[in-house]
Amino acid sequence: MSASVTPLRFQPPEVPEDKAREGYYALLARLFYAGPDAALLAAIGGAGRIAGEGEQSALGGAWNRLAAAARAMEAEAACLEYDEILVGTGKAEVTPYASYYLAETGREKILAGLRGELLGLGLARSEAAHEPEDHMAGLFDVMRHLISLGSEDAALQMQQGFFDRYIARSYPGFCGAISKSEKANFYKHVAHFAESFLAVETEALKVF
Amino acid sequence: MKNHTRSKLSRRNFLIAAGVGGAATAAAIAGRALSPEEPKAVASNDKRRGKGYQETAHVRSYYNTSKV
Repeated sequence: MSASVTPLRFQPPEVPEDKAREGYYALLARLFYAGPDAALLAAIGGAGRIAGEGEQSALGGAWNRLAAAARAMEAEAACLEYDEILVGTGKAEVTPYASYYLAETGREKILAGLRGELLGLGLARSEAAHEPEDHMAGLFDVMRHLISLGSEDAALQMQQGFFDRYIARSYPGFCGAISKSEKANFYKHVAHFAESFLAVETEALKVF
Repeated sequence: MKNHTRSKLSRRNFLIAAGVGGAATAAAIAGRALSPEEPKAVASNDKRRGKGYQETAHVRSYYNTSKV
């Protein structure tokens, strides 16, 4: 038998659950980068309930409530909400940058490490983006990308490593801060869904 | 090898039990509303017609200078 090499690239996920994870990370990246437009709200609202076994699960409940909120929400109000909580005039009420939640000091080092990792993955922020790379939306987008590389062990390991280093310990503080915000309404549901999904991710990435 | 197969199955089963599997359709529909290549570019493209405060690229770069 020749040396076993696991090809990483150009292998779309054949696992439906991974396709779903990809979709959720894409959605979280989008919702945490800017407020939703009407089309996105309609898509979330019209996406249907999570049925079956998931109905009882925290994730199912969180998704169904997010979908209901999307049906009731006006895009303009949701965007205003996003700006008030995560951008703000002056200092944002909730900072969307992961390093803030990861460490009290040495945040620049975290950011520098992340930049190095992204470079190694062949990734860089888009030219349109001015935010530092540790924006939660950027991290979710990296996860989406890593999942799109496939469901092989090596790919899962990369997902697990990245998740552990940047997301696992930052999302509880981030989502918790949004949930506590008095300005949050639609984004409370977004944060709750993100929390439920990422809690599942934390466990799922341990079992492969 | 056997272990790998078993653990892969348990990962999938876990995801399915947690509702991620059941959510595949929901995720796909929601995901379609995005530009999957570059979700980060979405915000700069959207034409918000809000009154008053507008978050523009200029404003965003200003915030970046005020951080750290």
